Amino acid sequence: MSTVIENRRRSTTEIAESTPEWKRRLTSDTAARLTAGISFFLFWLVVAAVFTRVPGPVEVVQRLGDEFARGEVFGNFGVTLYRFGVGVALATVFGIVIGVMMGLSKLSRAFFESPVLVGLSIPAIIWSFLTVMWFGFGDTSPIVTTFLTAVPFVIINVAQGVRGVSRDLRDMSSTYQVPLLRRMRDLVLPAVTGYVAAGIRFAVIIGWNGVLLAEWFGGSGGVGYRARFWYDANRYGGFAAWVVLFVGFIVILDRLVLDRAISRAFRWRDNSA
Amino acid sequence: MAVLTVRDLSKTFNVGTPRASRVLDNISFEVQGQTFVSIVGPSGCGKSTLLNIISGVEEHTSGDISLKSDQGGDARMGYVFQDPRLLPWRSVMKNMMYVQDELNEETTARARRYLDMVGLAKNADFFPGQLSGGMQQRVGIARAFAVEPDLLLMDEPFSHLDAITARGLRAQLQDIWAQSKKTVVFVTHDVVEAVELSDRIIVLQPGGRIYEDITIDLPRPRRQSDPTVATLQAEVLARLEKMKAATQVAAPVA
Ligand SMILES: Nc1ncnc2c1ncn2[C@@H]1O[C@H](COP(=O)(O)OP(=O)(O)OP(=O)(O)O)[C@@H](O)[C@H]1O
Ligand SMILES: [Mg+2]
Repeated sequence: MSTVIENRRRSTTEIAESTPEWKRRLTSDTAARLTAGISFFLFWLVVAAVFTRVPGPVEVVQRLGDEFARGEVFGNFGVTLYRFGVGVALATVFGIVIGVMMGLSKLSRAFFESPVLVGLSIPAIIWSFLTVMWFGFGDTSPIVTTFLTAVPFVIINVAQGVRGVSRDLRDMSSTYQVPLLRRMRDLVLPAVTGYVAAGIRFAVIIGWNGVLLAEWFGGSGGVGYRARFWYDANRYGGFAAWVVLFVGFIVILDRLVLDRAISRAFRWRDNSA
Repeated sequence: MAVLTVRDLSKTFNVGTPRASRVLDNISFEVQGQTFVSIVGPSGCGKSTLLNIISGVEEHTSGDISLKSDQGGDARMGYVFQDPRLLPWRSVMKNMMYVQDELNEETTARARRYLDMVGLAKNADFFPGQLSGGMQQRVGIARAFAVEPDLLLMDEPFSHLDAITARGLRAQLQDIWAQSKKTVVFVTHDVVEAVELSDRIIVLQPGGRIYEDITIDLPRPRRQSDPTVATLQAEVLARLEKMKAATQVAAPVA
């Protein structure tokens, strides 16, 4: 005898078994990412076909090949990467220190709040003008520009994270008189990991503006310098090739390194061991 | 063991604002030596607030409170909170070690022993999120025991556990308390539990005054089945009923 159950809900196993394979694939996250990538690519093709001054993907790849052939890629890319890396690393270290201070003490919050806000509102292009004026050509101005552009984002993220550390857990720590260093390592830092990660991600994504702009105006080699070289020569294909190269690098860095590091840091949130 | 003195203690939240509310009102009592004190009273009468003030995480508004070890110096404290309060990103064992003042083989062994006592030896490497609510509460209990405190504060530690686990842990608590020299302040709303465990029961009434301070003079270990225990439990329960009736007349529900 079979009974009919009204409003019956299906189990996950049942749903998985009754959905055809192709449908599951089509509605997956990977499919959504692929669709976004392909749409963008098609859009680029169309725009390049309509406007003659916009280089298409084929031309960009050709120009990139030419630059490789000239032996310009590794040197310039390496220089930029070094400046970018140092700038982002400095922004991370200073950002965490100042952010933790702002999160813990009202006094330092009062002190740093306005400078950080001002820093947030100054665009990378202003910093690049200023640093080229201050430091001239060389590594210093792109490094400092990257640092100054990125550090306020790390600071506000970390400060917010520290302020959000559970009051209950802090109370627990003080009844047990947990030493300050251990409290930092086991309570504050893990609680702010997500915010630190978000801050570093911002630093990377915002910071590259800084390094390219400073190189654009600084004229001492690097991706930004090379992009400008082609821009000034009215050769937009070469210009686009360099921008695509660097943006592509940032996207891959974010996907492969940062994204994975973040999910590792949040292992404890997974419910299965 | 600890010496705890509370005199004319009052607590008002949000002093000087329209939302000001008095939660504890002129509380006085003294506990020292190997004493087990329970604090009972209806929900919202200020039991957790009192423990928080004793532990130092909450400030009192007026009156005096002092706490020291009977050896002189600061008293080492263990606190089983009403909720587990574990670090979610650290394993059970790391949570146990987080509160130890020294990290060495002795304290590690001690942490393992108490984890075993609450039946969680197998879960030492789990994250708190992988445990049930009652299991997390048991980690909180083991953590408080493992620091071997002079003063042990417990806020309804067994109320989220099943009857059998709770009974087992109550027996363990009595043993530990009898062997190791501890002063215990134990909050519960369960009068039966309070009579079984305590030397003394402080009854708080709504509004945060002490209604009664009852001495329980029964031999240990006490058994639920013992008729004298049962009689006393019934008597204390009757007194609480009387208090409830009296305070309802005094403070009618608006
Ligand atoms: N931070 C706070 N701000 C304002 N009021 C508070 C605060 N903490 C507690 N209270 C109030 O103090 C009163 C007592 O709270 P408390 O947690 O001490 O009660 P309790 O006796 O432990 O109750 P329960 O048995 O339900 O745990 C409650 O009315 C509560 O609203
Ligand atoms: Mg409470």
